[in-house]
Amino acid sequence: MKTFLFILIVISSGAAAGLIHGSMNLIFVEPSLDQAIGIENQHLFASGEEKDTPEFWIKYDGYRTWQKSGQVLAGGILGISVGALFGIIFALSRNSLPGKTDIKKALVLAGIMWLAIYFIPFLKYPANPPTVGDPETIVLRGILYLIFIAISGFGAVGFYKLSQKLKTKKLVALVGYAAFIGIAFVAMPENPDQIAAPMDLVNNFRIMSAFTVSLYWLSLGIILGSLWHHYKPHKEIIPFN
Amino acid sequence: MSQSRQINVSKNGVPVTAIVALAIVFVAGLFVVGFDQGHIFSLVYGEEAFQDLYIHELTHDMRHAAGFPCH
Repeated sequence: MKTFLFILIVISSGAAAGLIHGSMNLIFVEPSLDQAIGIENQHLFASGEEKDTPEFWIKYDGYRTWQKSGQVLAGGILGISVGALFGIIFALSRNSLPGKTDIKKALVLAGIMWLAIYFIPFLKYPANPPTVGDPETIVLRGILYLIFIAISGFGAVGFYKLSQKLKTKKLVALVGYAAFIGIAFVAMPENPDQIAAPMDLVNNFRIMSAFTVSLYWLSLGIILGSLWHHYKPHKEIIPFN
Repeated sequence: MSQSRQINVSKNGVPVTAIVALAIVFVAGLFVVGFDQGHIFSLVYGEEAFQDLYIHELTHDMRHAAGFPCH
């Protein structure tokens, strides 16, 4: 395998999909974020921590513009990061993934990873807009979320490996994983925070958030699959004589 | 005259160096966007970084949008 080309393809497809994710968030998720932060501002005015003055709004607008540019930047960083994991697993599993072309193989893997390390954890610990989270519980919530993602991800890999070893059908691995993650789903503690924000806002935010993250996984599969198909980094280096 | 090259490969033909490099990228990126509460900048700015939360504030919107715990 051409090491440098492989890394370059993985990083650039992650960055591209991540920038798409960040940009899409500006359109689909930011309205909910602005609305939720608006509620936080009303709380600050009510408690006397801040005053509803033109100066406050000038400062606030500047700050939010900066944060929104951070949204796109963070999209790129997160995109590269998750894309790196995707690239490793794609390279290791490419020969056993179903599909005739690299794009189909990449899309199949993107779908599996979306389900195992994003969507199932999302169902257990759904995304929340600002005003919902309690700063006191942030470490606990972070640990719970990471543990559940790890349980689901390693569980999926584990059951796949087990079915390979026992030479059973892939469906057996799927049923095994489903039972396993079902138990973990029930056994893991709930998010300790109470939701005081309007449920309409929270639900709308969750739908938009899940939509753009899903768009990221779709873009990642298509871009990495296309680049892989075009540049074929798995082809061995031909030793020169 | 012939010359042979040896490269470090795993069983599947995927270079170990590439896997290690990408694994580091994965962990570092995930920490920056999802979990940093001043830890990285505290290496340079000390305790002040835990008050400023610069990376947390910069990645704040994506942190919420991608489903990471935040406040």
